[in-house]
Amino acid sequence: MKRTILLSLLLAAAASATAQGILGGHVTGNIQLDGQTSRADSTIGATALEEGLRLNARADVLYTNGNFSAGLRFEAYQNPLPGFNAKYKGQGIANYFASYDGSWLSITAGTFYEQFGNGMILRAYEDRNLGQDNAILGFKVAVRPVEGLTLKGVIGKQRYYWEWGDGLVRGVDADLNLNSLIKPFADSKTRISLGGGFVSKYEHDETILADNPEYKLRLPLNVGAGSVRFDLSHGGFNLQAEYALKGQDPNAVNNYIYRKGQALFLSASYSMKGFSANIQAKRIDNMAYKSVRSESGEMLYINYTPAITRQHTYAFLSIYPYATQATGEQGLQADFMYKIKKGTALGGKYGTDLHLNASAICGLKTNAIGGKGTLGYDSPFFGLGNLYYSDINFEVAKKVSPKVKFAATYAWQQFNPVVEGHSGSIHSNHVIVADVTWKAAPKHVLRFEAEWLGSNSKYSTDTDDKRAGDWIMGLIEYNFTSKFFVSLSDQYCYHDGIGNYYNISLGYTHKATRITVGYGKQREGIICIGGVCRQVPAANGLTFSLSTSF
Amino acid sequence: MKHFVITLFALMLATVAVAQNAQMPENVSIKSLDGKTVQSSVIQNDGKPIILSFWATWCKPCNKELDAIKEVYEEWQEETGVKLVAISIDDARSSSRVKPWVDGKAWDYEVYLDPNQDFKRAMNVVNVPHTFVIDGKGQIVWQHTSYVEGSEEEVIEAVRKAMAEQPSDKQ
Repeated sequence: MKRTILLSLLLAAAASATAQGILGGHVTGNIQLDGQTSRADSTIGATALEEGLRLNARADVLYTNGNFSAGLRFEAYQNPLPGFNAKYKGQGIANYFASYDGSWLSITAGTFYEQFGNGMILRAYEDRNLGQDNAILGFKVAVRPVEGLTLKGVIGKQRYYWEWGDGLVRGVDADLNLNSLIKPFADSKTRISLGGGFVSKYEHDETILADNPEYKLRLPLNVGAGSVRFDLSHGGFNLQAEYALKGQDPNAVNNYIYRKGQALFLSASYSMKGFSANIQAKRIDNMAYKSVRSESGEMLYINYTPAITRQHTYAFLSIYPYATQATGEQGLQADFMYKIKKGTALGGKYGTDLHLNASAICGLKTNAIGGKGTLGYDSPFFGLGNLYYSDINFEVAKKVSPKVKFAATYAWQQFNPVVEGHSGSIHSNHVIVADVTWKAAPKHVLRFEAEWLGSNSKYSTDTDDKRAGDWIMGLIEYNFTSKFFVSLSDQYCYHDGIGNYYNISLGYTHKATRITVGYGKQREGIICIGGVCRQVPAANGLTFSLSTSF
Repeated sequence: MKHFVITLFALMLATVAVAQNAQMPENVSIKSLDGKTVQSSVIQNDGKPIILSFWATWCKPCNKELDAIKEVYEEWQEETGVKLVAISIDDARSSSRVKPWVDGKAWDYEVYLDPNQDFKRAMNVVNVPHTFVIDGKGQIVWQHTSYVEGSEEEVIEAVRKAMAEQPSDKQ
């Protein structure tokens, strides 16, 4: 109630400011509505929605006046779209903050997002299409006393759907750029940035029984995590590294073991105009770090450990998306891009783009020590566990004429179902994608996409994995000016599986407003149609989406 | 109910303010490609317009847009003096691949990283690609989301319009 009054005052102030133009300032914002109906369809795993229609809606309103800003976000889940946690059900003001951002000092009171380094020890962020929001409610201060030095401090509690988690999160971080701080070094070709951070979470004691229920675990009330990082560039060379260490943190994700956590991320690249090579390595060991130890779901993560596999957007390439195993994994990724110059035999009139990407992720090699209340396991740093995921993909893209562009991709992916918590043998998929864009006439653009997926996996009622089998897909998209589009697509399983996903979509875009309506069957995953990519849940029915920024 | 009223109020308020041109925020922290933390006020073009494009390595339409503009970028610069600043919203999963990506694509744009999407939020970007035209005084005069072949023409039209409406006093 108090909050409501405060917010009303804030908005009233903003309103009078803009209307009278005395205080100046601007109101900006964005609105997004996503709705869906769905009938039951066991062939694709869609369920009938009792409510008939489900709707997610949100509106961000941001008031800015010079260095001062204040904002709030209204969210409504009536009821949450399939794929979103049912605990989101409801509506209200999810975010609210006031902030001063000067040239050397920034202070935020209220909800905020923040990331230290790569986020290995702290990342508060939101991804509205995934229903992910671990915003911190509290205070954030950033100081930039001299050019090249940023010091940050945060304190607060994290969002848990419509509540705030009990755990208290505190963190400090320093970010230094040596070229700015050390004068003689200012114009050096070698660029060096360093950083380091420390995060601590506090949570009250509770009763967690060991495997032998006569014993209660002695839980650490404060759990710390620290990280160091650097970023070194010299001409086309770049080297980045971050190492993080976490103290004893028995929690629901790691089954209450007392092993310390650690994570290492390395990236080396060389690039020049028209060519690049990049190699990344990552090792994560027991790094699930949450502000509430008993939370095993998607919320209340303090840190972020991304997957280092390529994020695909073509339908069949992202059919088995890899997700980081925060309890333990290690992996390598290599990425090469080369542009064949125009005017050469292979480059043709417009040049040709080649892109090769490969990644492999394995589990850790572990020796079990015990269950709850023990150190859990031991793991040699260079030991290899089972293969979780591998992906080799090669793409050729070429402008054939002023009107026609062509891209083709081949990929071989292996996916271990253990990543999604299932047993079974590894899925091995070969995928071919052809993507042609034809500018038929000014303001009339047609796009054709054909995909094929050949898999070793066969559909069985035991696992009920509806992605199994061999698939083909076709898509036709017609764009009239940049405003209207219509697209038709069908994914059909022709061998060893089930499923036929047809879809028709219509869309209208005007400036920063976009409206799309779709009808048909939709597979869960990332889709890109008519120029925008987003995450969609499985459904059989009507979907609509409206977004606007102002 | 109360919340609903507030929201309605906020939305009405918003429509009042639509007519005004908001400023591009100056003190949002972003990162340069060599890893240095900088404030968004580094995005400058000597009083001439700026095209601010939010993109990601994994976003196909974004890459198509930036590839298409690359073909005509020199002509655009000669004609209008415009500068394209590309803001990558790649998070830690792919942010270290942005610099090699930009080189591999042979883009001549000024590129910054927004790995936790603070700048994206401050600019009310919902989905990428989202492209803004900022005039010589730092005001947002045009914006558009999504890309299809040929729609880069609308971007340069907006730049020309911005220059006509507010001739740079530094010329």
